[in-house]
Amino acid sequence: MTSTLKGITLKGSAELVAEFFSFGINSILYQRGIYPPETFTRVTHYDLSLLLTTDPKLKSYLTNVVSQLKEWLFECTVQKLVLVITCLETNEVLERWQFDIECDKSAKESSAPREKSIKTIQHEIRSVIRQITATVTFLPLLETPCAFDLLVYTDKDLVVPDKWEESGPQTIDQPEEVRLHSFTTSIHKVNSMVAYKKTESA
Amino acid sequence: MDLEDDTTILTTLKSFNSFISRPEHPQRLSEHSAGSGILQSQYKRSMELLEAAERVHSKNRYLQLDQEKKQMELSHKRARFELERAASDSARDLEHEVDRNQELLGQIKKLEERAEEVNKKLTEQKEANDALQKNLEGLNKTLEERDDKLGTANQTIRSLKDEIRELRQKIQNQDSKMSAQTLENQELQEKIDLQQRKYQEVSQLCQSLQAAQSSCSDHIIKIKELERRLVFQEQDFAIVKTVKSEVARVPDLEKELKRLRDDNAYLRESRENCSLLKEEVEGLRKKLERMEKTKEELINMELEKEVKVWARSQSELRAELTQQHSKTLEEQKKREAQDALVRRLQKRVLLLTKERDGMRAILESYDSELAPTEYSPQLSKRLREAEDILLKTQSHNAEMEVCLQACINILFFFALLNSVCACIFFLRQKIEDLERERQRLEEQNNILEMRLERHNLQGDYDPVKTRVLHLKMNPTAIAKQERQQEVEALRQEVTRLRDLVRSLQSGGAVGHSQDDTHNPSFSLSLAPSKEVLDLRKQMESSELRNQRLKEVFQRKIQEFRTVCYVLTGYQIDITTENQYRLTSVYAEHMDDSLLFKKGSNGSMQLMETEFSKTLGEMVALHLHHQKSIPAFLSAVTLDLFSRQTTV
Repeated sequence: MTSTLKGITLKGSAELVAEFFSFGINSILYQRGIYPPETFTRVTHYDLSLLLTTDPKLKSYLTNVVSQLKEWLFECTVQKLVLVITCLETNEVLERWQFDIECDKSAKESSAPREKSIKTIQHEIRSVIRQITATVTFLPLLETPCAFDLLVYTDKDLVVPDKWEESGPQTIDQPEEVRLHSFTTSIHKVNSMVAYKKTESA
Repeated sequence: MDLEDDTTILTTLKSFNSFISRPEHPQRLSEHSAGSGILQSQYKRSMELLEAAERVHSKNRYLQLDQEKKQMELSHKRARFELERAASDSARDLEHEVDRNQELLGQIKKLEERAEEVNKKLTEQKEANDALQKNLEGLNKTLEERDDKLGTANQTIRSLKDEIRELRQKIQNQDSKMSAQTLENQELQEKIDLQQRKYQEVSQLCQSLQAAQSSCSDHIIKIKELERRLVFQEQDFAIVKTVKSEVARVPDLEKELKRLRDDNAYLRESRENCSLLKEEVEGLRKKLERMEKTKEELINMELEKEVKVWARSQSELRAELTQQHSKTLEEQKKREAQDALVRRLQKRVLLLTKERDGMRAILESYDSELAPTEYSPQLSKRLREAEDILLKTQSHNAEMEVCLQACINILFFFALLNSVCACIFFLRQKIEDLERERQRLEEQNNILEMRLERHNLQGDYDPVKTRVLHLKMNPTAIAKQERQQEVEALRQEVTRLRDLVRSLQSGGAVGHSQDDTHNPSFSLSLAPSKEVLDLRKQMESSELRNQRLKEVFQRKIQEFRTVCYVLTGYQIDITTENQYRLTSVYAEHMDDSLLFKKGSNGSMQLMETEFSKTLGEMVALHLHHQKSIPAFLSAVTLDLFSRQTTV
């Protein structure tokens, strides 16, 4: 386990980051109303009250993605994770939550754990999740029915696993961008930002 | 005891009564029976018994009454006792009561006094109350005013609260803006950091460039030194060449020497005119001295120049370039002058040689003419001196040539210097251009990096290094598929409904007879038409039933009518409403018929027909008289039947 007092190993760091993504994605789905709020249940984590989905299909999808992501984090081959929200009627991308991952590859060679307290990391993750919740104040309302997708930017020489395929970057044209806080486990550094389509001011 | 006696008496009485009554019953029953004597005795007995019973009874009553009386007396006594007690008690009570009464009266008086006082107080209180009420009214008014003020204050409070809410909202907005701005700030700071890093890198690059430049200049200096050394070496080489050429010329000079010695020997042999030779020699000497001076001057100048040149340091070269230029020009001029001098000297040498040849010729002539023994030592001395001078001039010549060469070398050197300076200048300009180019490229690089970062932020990626992956079965794809399927299903339903509407519109105009043909298509296209089908089936079944009923009814009616006809002999037809026509089976003519009409009250009346006119008698008899239609009809039938059989 990574929560020993000895320090953060590469495997532990990968687990922490994957866990953050799982909770973060659930929070975003709840906040943006992609799925109805009654399908979410409250849990406590990082000393915060967070929401997790109970929809079985969605759960299995998220579990698949997060477990594959954990592997890639351990191999340090993943560069970004992007959550894209698309409008179903017009097929255009309305919001783009981008998490840039910088991996310290020297941790792969040396297996010595690094000194960083779990509390500090959790504090940093807490601030990011609080910011995600606070984005509700300025993000435009999603009035049309929307669906989401998770994209992973990996190194080119990676073997594409089963059930995964290549896709486009699905960018927004002329977006408004807001950078959020970042956190680091001393092996992986995650920078978060959200880009959204500018609403036509009436 | 008495009571027990009573009870025994009562029981005996009862038994006695019962005994009496028993014989009475049979007495009643056998009232009419004989034996009156027995009866009388019995009766007497019974009467006696009765009397005894009565006596007993009366005794009993008497006893009872005695008892009762005693009881009563007792009770009376008791009552009297009690009454006395009660009386005494009541007397005591009365006394008490009287005392109490007096006390109460006193109290009453006191109370009355108090009541008066209280009344006074009441009145006072009432007055006070009135005053207070007035106060109250005043206070109420003030209260109302205050309520109004409160109301206004509440309104102001509400408005203030609204303002507060608005302000809070503004504060919240500002907070959100602030947070957004702090986010932007952080972003900008990060950018600034990046820029600073880049600046540092660039400064490092600059420093490295400067180091490179300094090394470049050092190299250039080294190059110059090497070139200078090369030049010196070339000069030395040239000097060596000249020396070699000189050395090559040495045997020739030795040969010349030999020849001159031979000439001297030859001259010694012959003696000539001194004075002319002396004068000429003196003149030559003077000329030689002058030449020597000029040559020495030239040599000194050149030496000074060389000294000046060789004494200068490298670092003053640039500053003296122009001077050197001018000097070179001067030197060139001097060189030209020197060339001219050299030419002159050469010409003088030629002249000298010519003079020498002339002198030799003269000497030969003198030798041929005279036999000079006096002049020979002086001449030889002078010859030797002349030879020495010649040698000296030759050496001076050589030196001059060397100097010339040196001058040329110096000029070449200067030219090289110039070229080197030009090169340096050119290199400097190139360096400046490259610097500018580098700065421009750096700016472009920065802009491109900014753009790249911006694109990275927006999600662009370098396809050479990165790949974008997602799961095939992702929620967006699934949602799109479902939407597509929905759309498809809706389209299909729309086409189906359109066809149905069209067919309904065309089917409705045709009519029910084609329902069967349309039914299959309806049943195929519409699910809810089951109800319609059921209803149709029901309708059909009811229609069939109706038809069958009608058939059955008709058959039955027909049967009934034939039976009626056969049995009664009349065929009854309904011509119009309530009119019935009867045709007999034995009618003589086809249209012999009787017409009956049903009246409003329900009775049947015969109508006038031709046939009925012939039956006037029967009508009168059966209808008018007997008032029976069946009799009339049967009479008619019989009549017709009899007519038929007879006929």
